[in-house]
Amino acid sequence: MSKEYSVLGKSEIKVDSLEKVLGTAKYAGDYDMPGMLYGGVFRSTVPHAYIKKLNLEKARKMPGVACVLDHTAIPGINRFGIIIKDEPCLVDDKVRRYGDAIAVVAAETKEILAEALEAIEVEYEEIEPIFTIERALEEDSPKIHGDSNIHATKHLEHGDVDGAFEKFDVIVEHEYSTHRLSHMFIEPDAGVAYIDENGMLTVVASTQNPHYDRGEVAKMLGVPTNRVRVKQATTGGGFGGKLDIGVQLHCALLTYYTKKPVKIVRGRKESTTVSSKRHPMVMKAKTGATKDGKILVTDIFQYGDTGAYASYGPAVIGRSPVHAAGPYDVPNVRVHAVFTYTNNPMSGAFRGFGVPQAAVVHEGQMNAIAEKLNMSQFDIRMINAQTVGCTLPTGQKLTESVGFKDTLTLAMEKAREVMDFSEGEL
Amino acid sequence: MKQITIEVTVNGTKGKLTIDPNKRLLDMLREDLGLTSVKEGCSEGECGACTVIFNGDPVTTCCMLAGQADGAEIITVEGLAIGGKIDPVQQAFMEVGAVQCGYCIPGMLLTAKALLMKNPDPTDAEIRVAMSGNLCRCTGYAKIHDGVKLAAKMMKEQQKEAVNE
Amino acid sequence: MIKRGHGIGCMFYGVGNTGLPNPAAAFVEVLADATANVMIGAADIGQGIATVSAAIAAETLGLDYIDIHVTSADTLTTPEGGATSASRQTFITGNAVKNACLNARKELEKTAAEFLNCTEEELVFECHEIYSNKDETKKMTYAELMGSMGKLGRLAVGAGYYNPNTTYLDPNDMSGIPYEIYSYATTICEVDVNTETGEVDVRKVVSAHDVGTPVNTAAVEGQIEGGVVMGEGFVLFENIEVDKRTGAIKNPEFSKYIIPTTMDVPEIYPIVVSSDGDAGPYGAKGVGEPALIPMIPAVTAAVEDALGVKFRKLPILAADIVAAVKEKEAREKEEAENK
Repeated sequence: MSKEYSVLGKSEIKVDSLEKVLGTAKYAGDYDMPGMLYGGVFRSTVPHAYIKKLNLEKARKMPGVACVLDHTAIPGINRFGIIIKDEPCLVDDKVRRYGDAIAVVAAETKEILAEALEAIEVEYEEIEPIFTIERALEEDSPKIHGDSNIHATKHLEHGDVDGAFEKFDVIVEHEYSTHRLSHMFIEPDAGVAYIDENGMLTVVASTQNPHYDRGEVAKMLGVPTNRVRVKQATTGGGFGGKLDIGVQLHCALLTYYTKKPVKIVRGRKESTTVSSKRHPMVMKAKTGATKDGKILVTDIFQYGDTGAYASYGPAVIGRSPVHAAGPYDVPNVRVHAVFTYTNNPMSGAFRGFGVPQAAVVHEGQMNAIAEKLNMSQFDIRMINAQTVGCTLPTGQKLTESVGFKDTLTLAMEKAREVMDFSEGEL
Repeated sequence: MKQITIEVTVNGTKGKLTIDPNKRLLDMLREDLGLTSVKEGCSEGECGACTVIFNGDPVTTCCMLAGQADGAEIITVEGLAIGGKIDPVQQAFMEVGAVQCGYCIPGMLLTAKALLMKNPDPTDAEIRVAMSGNLCRCTGYAKIHDGVKLAAKMMKEQQKEAVNE
Repeated sequence: MIKRGHGIGCMFYGVGNTGLPNPAAAFVEVLADATANVMIGAADIGQGIATVSAAIAAETLGLDYIDIHVTSADTLTTPEGGATSASRQTFITGNAVKNACLNARKELEKTAAEFLNCTEEELVFECHEIYSNKDETKKMTYAELMGSMGKLGRLAVGAGYYNPNTTYLDPNDMSGIPYEIYSYATTICEVDVNTETGEVDVRKVVSAHDVGTPVNTAAVEGQIEGGVVMGEGFVLFENIEVDKRTGAIKNPEFSKYIIPTTMDVPEIYPIVVSSDGDAGPYGAKGVGEPALIPMIPAVTAAVEDALGVKFRKLPILAADIVAAVKEKEAREKEEAENK
């Protein structure tokens, strides 16, 4: 099937391997520049609150502290976000989660930085925190953004779902839930900002999207996009967790004021606390099939908790419904999805964007149908597998490159060879 | 704070260092000696990114004080490729495709090197146990395991060549 | 007691952003000594888009892999690459690199056609040679070609970009074309479950992935293996706990948030499956996220098979297994007594 290529398909040594095995690859934390300051972030220790008082003066007066800033120092726009601009660079109206950034500090040494962060004083007026989807949806709950805690809803409708439920031979109905997970890339987030010899504000950072970062830094500083340079440092893993911007804005702001290089390296706990998490989801599914195992219809509800800020939530709620019926040819599909804001840790992009959660459901339902029909898990998948010519729940017709059945048969062949199971077990 | 002076051999060079007694060995290597291949991942001795070879054993330097290195012999990845010649563990990791983001790689290489210095022909189980203190989130460890095995083979061949010469 | 179980998990994954434009671009310049510089905006986070771009550029220009130098993810020198997410860079930046190289080839083709006295359409660029596919005696080396380019004052430069052929989705029913292309995968998993301790030994995993065309086979396998082990952690160990009062994460460090180590790794058999298509660069599709996804239902199903109990609430931690086994035993005992 595959053509002969002169370069493709081989296993050449990756272009970045040599510098990585030599230890010379430069990650953001490895940068050291003359006159460089150490930056850090003062963060909230409550999940939902107005800030009554913020005292930065003690920290500002400490010897060796170059700069202490809150939101009033931001020259441009104090809202960012890859899809919805709902997160502040530094809190201005209220705290929406544990770990929200309230102030930034630049100091001559790491030790002075730690002492200055300790010297910042804050008084909160706490608001009832919302930690469950149920409470978020209640009318009398406090609203985290605007006048509704619904972050987004999506509705997918294909074929005649209600009609199809009158024609099935077997039906299975189950509730599933998946949990909150952390990327745990081995390199905690880090970045360094400086003004280069041509006067260009430059940020070198551990990131998955430098061009997006550049736009956000420029908007935050109120300068034209081409007056900011963002360069990706060698990046120690991402998995979606380094798609949101954070360190880049904070060190850029500190450099903007001090005119000196500023490096921020998050500690492990700070990194895990602040970076996005996988959306916890609750999903209810009702699936009907014929007695031959052909899936006729599936009807799914998806509830997700996007936490305090949208981050990549809109991408997850956009992707999960269109994958909800799985790699199968299902003629009647309905998916209704609701994501809410809460004061929990922010959910965002994590390897799969809601498809791992969807897969738990479509595979669970597949096996439940197979069990009811006393059919093998393999056979029911072969019967329903998408092929070229199938129409997806979005109405899209597949025209090429659908290798699903090949993956099923090749995986099964290999499994029979290396695993210990009798014919028909799967 | 009163400074202390230690004598330490790093990558074959012996020298004296005057340092803050509270300084971690990790910070001494990165900041005082500029050996930035030694990475910080967790600061609690869990991830192994800051591993060096310390008197022949792999240790995590985030949980050690610099003073503990007085009189010790330390090898970092900067000391593996000698005279421009890359070490078999480095070559093997590249060839099998064990390197993805690379942040765990210096620690992995040094743990592997320490294992192979003591046990030139480790079994699969011995490799797993030896490497279990070094976390990797990218590779699923499969090609890292292959890299250690290939490195063992390459080192044996090198030795044979040396004997023949 | 140790109980063995097997499970299967499948998935499909639309490559790129859902029903939204998401272009990426590349620049290329072929130099006088028949090497080339490629500039991509895409961030390489270790998955290998720089490697993939070098291979695609070499294939398209007729050079060797080692002749290509890739600069990536620097807004001063590289064009927009979009996010390294949605398993999109091999497909989208890969196509951008191919388009940039095809644009750079225009002057090369014109020059070679003049030199070889043939049409541009019949030219093949392969392994440092340019020849006519109608008359193989008409051929020249890349060095000769770049020599001619120099004499004529011509430069081989190209910019290219690619935006997947998708549509916005209908706001009422989500109909439309969310993605141009989909990756497919099947994972089969074998586990041993200790019913007393709740410990799961994931023994063997076969994971087959339709990637269209593998650009770098070892890199594809590396993604699959990494995904399998991350999927194992997803189901069996990992769980972020949030403090019910402060909203703080209670386990933000490796000593409390357990990810798999070498001791947990099963025997993994990655299978790289090809399929025919023209959308991707030489047919290539994404594998980054697909690598993870099917392992999650596969290991779940394997544990269910071992114990004869369904787990529809993830994660399945050791304590959950012990509890489920006890509950099942109590139920069976009660049923036996009722008989």
